Amino acid sequence: MAGQVGILNVGAGDTKLVFDPSNPADCIRAARVVKDMIRRGYALLVDTGKRDAGDRPIYARAKDFDETKFEYIIADFDPLIAAEEDANAEDESTAAQSDGAPGEKAKVRKPRSVRKAIPAESVNAIAVARTAGG
Amino acid sequence: MKALDGFSGLRDGLREIADMRNEWAGIPMPLDGIPLVIEPTYRDAKGLASIGRGKPEAASEFDNVEIINRFFSTRKGRDIVIWRQNGKIDWGTCGHVHGADFALQTLGASDAWGIEQEANAINTLGGMLSHRAFKQYMLTGCFLETSRRSGVVYLFRRLRPTIAISLRSGSSRILAALCMHPIGYYEGSWAGAMCPTDDVIAHLALMRGDEAMLWRRCNQHAPYRPEAGL
Repeated sequence: MAGQVGILNVGAGDTKLVFDPSNPADCIRAARVVKDMIRRGYALLVDTGKRDAGDRPIYARAKDFDETKFEYIIADFDPLIAAEEDANAEDESTAAQSDGAPGEKAKVRKPRSVRKAIPAESVNAIAVARTAGG
Repeated sequence: MKALDGFSGLRDGLREIADMRNEWAGIPMPLDGIPLVIEPTYRDAKGLASIGRGKPEAASEFDNVEIINRFFSTRKGRDIVIWRQNGKIDWGTCGHVHGADFALQTLGASDAWGIEQEANAINTLGGMLSHRAFKQYMLTGCFLETSRRSGVVYLFRRLRPTIAISLRSGSSRILAALCMHPIGYYEGSWAGAMCPTDDVIAHLALMRGDEAMLWRRCNQHAPYRPEAGL
């Protein structure tokens, strides 16, 4: 299986980069281009291959790209960790209200975001250059 | 087909230069009389944006004019501008009442695109949509998709801003017309530097992948403004 990156392009409509594991040279070149695009502020939108309840494809924006492993790094939100942290936050909030000094605010921890790697060879992506509002 | 398109030589030349300069999204094509508005951090943005603009007159009737305020009048359907010149305050209307000028400018800007580029973009879009939505796009130039995050319904349109519709409280309400083009666009038109379907793909992919970024990057036009294209 080979993953593709469609780069929206003025002169070509769109150009394709291919991450084909059987062609390491192409993978290395594609990885360099993807890394450079992220550096230049392109939005790289990855089709995760999953679908929601309404059968719509789920996309995520790549925050970074790992050139050594050919993986997109996306910000993911693990539902199990989120549920655990929500429960802890509620406990702490209750404890602070009963034991804490008057006027002291209960500390509420922000849910931790998780970075998730997606192999580039298994998904397709769209690269959008920096934009001007019309 | 290239023999029939007088701009194909310039388009191909710019594509080759873009390849040499590692401009992954290409170089916008300057057109005479329709200046480009380019994303400021793009290489040579100022140079490209200056092509096609008339030279500023040395002395004009607008010398020493200070703009005091500018706002939209729903009664006149245009912008009202209030200014001060030589100590005297005056006002006038400006802007467009309807989108006819935008439509004509868009028609003029269509020289920048080629059939080949649009065909490639349509091919890519076809892989992102359901059969029904793609058929709607091919036949009407627009399709609907609901955001799984916000529940906002988006009407994606070719060569027009995307319409964001809220269905809360049982009735539909237009939140805004969202206008955005990768790299840049042709001033006073709905035409982007990229071919029309590439703009639609950019809107759709950003909505699916990072809806907040779509709203941040777009100009948000009120539905009654001519820029909204409604």
